Amino acid sequence: MLRVENLSTSYGQIKAIRDVSLHVPEGKIVSLIGANGAGKTTTMKTIAGLLTPKSGTVTFCGQRIEGWKPHRLVEAGMALVPEGRAILGKMTVLENLEMGAFQRKDAQGIKDDMEKMMTWFPILKERLNQLGGTMSGGQQQMLSIARALMSRPKLLLLDEPSMGLAPIVVSDIFKVIRQINQEGTTVLIVEQNVKQALKIADYGYVLEVGQIVHEGTGEALLNDERVKEAYLGGRKHA
Amino acid sequence: MDLLNPYNLQVITFIVLNGILAISIYITLMTGQLSLGHAGFMSIGAYTASILTKQADLPLFAALLLGALAAGLIALLIGAPTLKLHGLYLAIATLGFGEVVRVIMLNMEITNGALGLTGLKSIGNTLYEWQKAIGVSAQSVGVSVMQMKALLTLFFLVLLFAVILFLTLRLNRSRIGRAFEAIKADETAAKAMGLQISYYKMLAFIIGSVLAGFCGGLFAHITTTVTPDDFNYHKVVEILSFAVIGGSEIVWGPLFGALLLTSLPELLRSLAEYKMIMYGAIMVLVMAFRPHGLIAADTFQKLFRRRSKQASAAKKEEF
Ligand SMILES: Nc1ncnc2c1ncn2[C@@H]1O[C@H](COP(=O)(O)OP(=O)(O)OP(=O)(O)O)[C@@H](O)[C@H]1O
Ligand SMILES: [Mg+2]
Repeated sequence: MLRVENLSTSYGQIKAIRDVSLHVPEGKIVSLIGANGAGKTTTMKTIAGLLTPKSGTVTFCGQRIEGWKPHRLVEAGMALVPEGRAILGKMTVLENLEMGAFQRKDAQGIKDDMEKMMTWFPILKERLNQLGGTMSGGQQQMLSIARALMSRPKLLLLDEPSMGLAPIVVSDIFKVIRQINQEGTTVLIVEQNVKQALKIADYGYVLEVGQIVHEGTGEALLNDERVKEAYLGGRKHA
Repeated sequence: MDLLNPYNLQVITFIVLNGILAISIYITLMTGQLSLGHAGFMSIGAYTASILTKQADLPLFAALLLGALAAGLIALLIGAPTLKLHGLYLAIATLGFGEVVRVIMLNMEITNGALGLTGLKSIGNTLYEWQKAIGVSAQSVGVSVMQMKALLTLFFLVLLFAVILFLTLRLNRSRIGRAFEAIKADETAAKAMGLQISYYKMLAFIIGSVLAGFCGGLFAHITTTVTPDDFNYHKVVEILSFAVIGGSEIVWGPLFGALLLTSLPELLRSLAEYKMIMYGAIMVLVMAFRPHGLIAADTFQKLFRRRSKQASAAKKEEF
């Protein structure tokens, strides 16, 4: 579904990612893990069209898409849940969800998807008229994911959905992600929460200082000594 | 009948005109863009309309519309390169644009340089001609001809203002208004949701400029003269202070700012000479005590909450 090859992106002179290659097969969950500043967000933003790559190619559903504007990518079926959730704080939950379907014209389909979000995220149903900005962090994350789904994406890009959330909320979020995937949406997820991200992943990549250094199935990476050493830190996360 | 003397009527007319200008800056600010080109666009609208009525002898109202259109066209041209700029950079670029317009108007033959254009068609005269044509004279209304003309101008402006305000409120609640709001709140989020940022920014910029151009034409044909200095840096500050002092979160903010800043110098005559100082002082005070302006979104919150509850009840039923 998504194939990234030798992707490099810079901020001025600073090379943030170099020759990143990864593959997200249809129907799977793929995780990209890495420490602070590894270039995870940069990779996501480049794929989603928020940044323009210096070199490399991105192929989505058989089309070369690098350099496309974000709105075209949303139309093509890609949706990004940005780092830090990016909720529209002065709009209500309902309005946030409606904004997610901004490009769609199929009123009936939007209504159906709205119903679907209400069953997937019961918390949102209770709070449709609450201002986005007054929701808790976990609720905002749910809203941000639901809003992205309102564009009915084939591929959902999640940038650190666990950021700043309590462990119990994090496991809720990951449950939801797994459910979304089971309902047919392909998922690429970027995380620092290595354990959770690899547990649900079919395949994973490890990013260090802008480059992919390891890859393998989620399980293989979880048991990889180097990954354990660097990211799971023995007892600390056990 | 003192209140109805032509001078007072003209002051009120200018309050209404500045109200339209306030809407113009409000609309560009809706996408979070700080454009200081409004005086420049006013100038383009004013000169285009004036040249069309004076040299080409076009009907006044057609000329006003063409003036607004000309401002919109120029906005389209300069918008493409400048709207990529953010914050202060956009402010400086558009400020520079206004200055360029002023210098051009100052040096062209058709604009008559620093002296500007005088003896323009007056809106009051034109409307009064129409009124006489349908057989109503000033005497039959019981006012002097001067008063009648001033009154007609005022009514006309109020009518325009009402229509523009109505459309702005509609815009606020439309799909486009939502897009503007999202872009202002969080550009990255707006992009991620698939909004065409550059399209909506350009749209807001053009609507604001068209309105400014329209105001320019109106201004010229109310005062019947126009000079390049009518639209100088001071005008920029004046328009901007409507939004800074009144607030720019909701349309009532800049409107209140326009009302306050246009009427204050008239109410306190002795202050008129120190208009710019007064603007500066009020601005500093507002910045210090109400950084979002005198009227912020939550000023009407109580009222709004009640309304949004009703709206949400209605929405729930829809679902
Ligand atoms: N706008 C920017 N300008 C310059 N450098 C940037 C910019 N954004 C990111 N960088 C740099 O690029 C590198 C990668 O940043 P990125 O945000 O992609 O990391 P990340 O893996 O998402 O980190 P985190 O886990 O903290 O979110 C970092 O060294 C960062 O300092
Ligand atoms: Mg990041």
